[in-house]
Amino acid sequence: MEETHPATAVSTRALVKRYRDVTAVDSLNLDVRRGEIYGFLGRNGAGKTTTIRMLLGLIRPSGGEVTVLGQRMVPGETNMFSRVGFLVETATAYPNLTVRENLDIQRRLTGSPPGSVEDSITLLRLGPYAGRRAGQLSLGNKQRLSLARALLHSPELLVLDEPANGLDPAGIVEIRDLLRSLAGERGVTVFMSSHILAEVAHLADRIGIIHNGRLIEESSREDLAAKARSFAADAYTPEEREQALLTLDLERYFLARTGEAAKGPVA
Amino acid sequence: MFGQVLATEFMKLHRAKATWATLAVLAMMPLGIALFMWIVREPGRAAQLGLVGTKASLAGLEATWPEYFYMLTLIFGIGGMLLLAFIVAYLFGREYSDATAKNMLALPVARHWFAVAKLAVAAVWWMALIVLVLAEAMAIGFAMGLPKFSAELAATGLANVLLAASISFLLAPVVAWIAVLSRGEVAPIAFSLVMLALGNLFGRTGWAEWFPYSIVPLLIGMVADPVDTLTAGSYVVLAGTFMAGTTATILQLRFADNAQ
Repeated sequence: MEETHPATAVSTRALVKRYRDVTAVDSLNLDVRRGEIYGFLGRNGAGKTTTIRMLLGLIRPSGGEVTVLGQRMVPGETNMFSRVGFLVETATAYPNLTVRENLDIQRRLTGSPPGSVEDSITLLRLGPYAGRRAGQLSLGNKQRLSLARALLHSPELLVLDEPANGLDPAGIVEIRDLLRSLAGERGVTVFMSSHILAEVAHLADRIGIIHNGRLIEESSREDLAAKARSFAADAYTPEEREQALLTLDLERYFLARTGEAAKGPVA
Repeated sequence: MFGQVLATEFMKLHRAKATWATLAVLAMMPLGIALFMWIVREPGRAAQLGLVGTKASLAGLEATWPEYFYMLTLIFGIGGMLLLAFIVAYLFGREYSDATAKNMLALPVARHWFAVAKLAVAAVWWMALIVLVLAEAMAIGFAMGLPKFSAELAATGLANVLLAASISFLLAPVVAWIAVLSRGEVAPIAFSLVMLALGNLFGRTGWAEWFPYSIVPLLIGMVADPVDTLTAGSYVVLAGTFMAGTTATILQLRFADNAQ
């Protein structure tokens, strides 16, 4: 296996994916540092999920290369997945199995200790649903189950595609706090995609913006926020600003009324 | 690691309706044959009950153990091929229809083990069905009091059913490959139906022993008089089909794009 810089968790070089005459990902160069939270932002169809699928070896690049945790991705090579947790696009599970059984499958196949199933159930607050079949869960709880599966084997790298899908505002705050603590306290690297800036703005250390398969911007959260403020000062009318503040106030109030997750910052 | 993969493949069948559905379908077959035998044996009462006794008597069958075994082999051979195709299509295709393939393929487990484990589960599932339904068939045969039973006849009849079932399994990996290639369950079942029709067609030509899907119909006497033994060429064709299907499934899982 080819080794890359030890401070890099994910690296892509001139990564390309073509589907016939459509280029989904075009000459993508990414470097995600170990221990950071990297927000991968793009509109629907920008190439986020295709990139994530290539990071996980689910699809083969048409060109370029991917390195994950120091190992160059080779088609069919699966050893590094003992160190990687992931959630790709939609939350999925075996619908006829309970939450606990779904997680037990993950435990067995990742060689994790028996207690890891209950630990991940506790971590994602799935206790009341542990004996329920996955097919009977709400979308938000399916998302929690998928996150529990991703975290069960204590990975060094989390690759999350739209992790807030299906979660209510309180759930989003809760998952945000969880990811922040994983990165801050356990040094887990988080690579998360989203099409909503607000979702990554409160969490990511650095943000990359992908558009038409190309990385068009990459900067720290602070730099991006400064650019956004400067842009917004010119672009919005006072009424639009008032409307945006009202939305934030309403969401803060809603969170305050609906649970302890409201303790966290509000998007 | 293979042991864990195999264990989880069995776990995935917990509460699955497909297992009971296949048992129910296969268990209906001896009952259907038994009904047919009863109509042959008692056409008058069958006609009184509105059952088509005339058609049954025209079939020229006798309500005896040899005929019963012949019919069992025929129905297990053809119906079984389709049922086995459903089992394999379900085991491989559900990972795509439930969108769990992406979770399965990005685990620290060599991907070929999933293909091997799923085929092993299919084999166990298939053999369990055959054994259960053969037991049911024997019980029905004795309950009906069919004449001309002998231990030798039973041994030959059961051996024929098991041979047809085993040969059908050699065709299963191709179904698995179609399921993985098409990322679902519909295409492999459709493929099996088409192959069954083609097998019937080729079975009436001189190519029967060389076309994999004609070999079971040839063995059980669906397309001609049943043959006692298959030629070595047929076994080579079946082994080649099994190897090709298994290899293609593994290569597809390992190297092809696995988007859903």
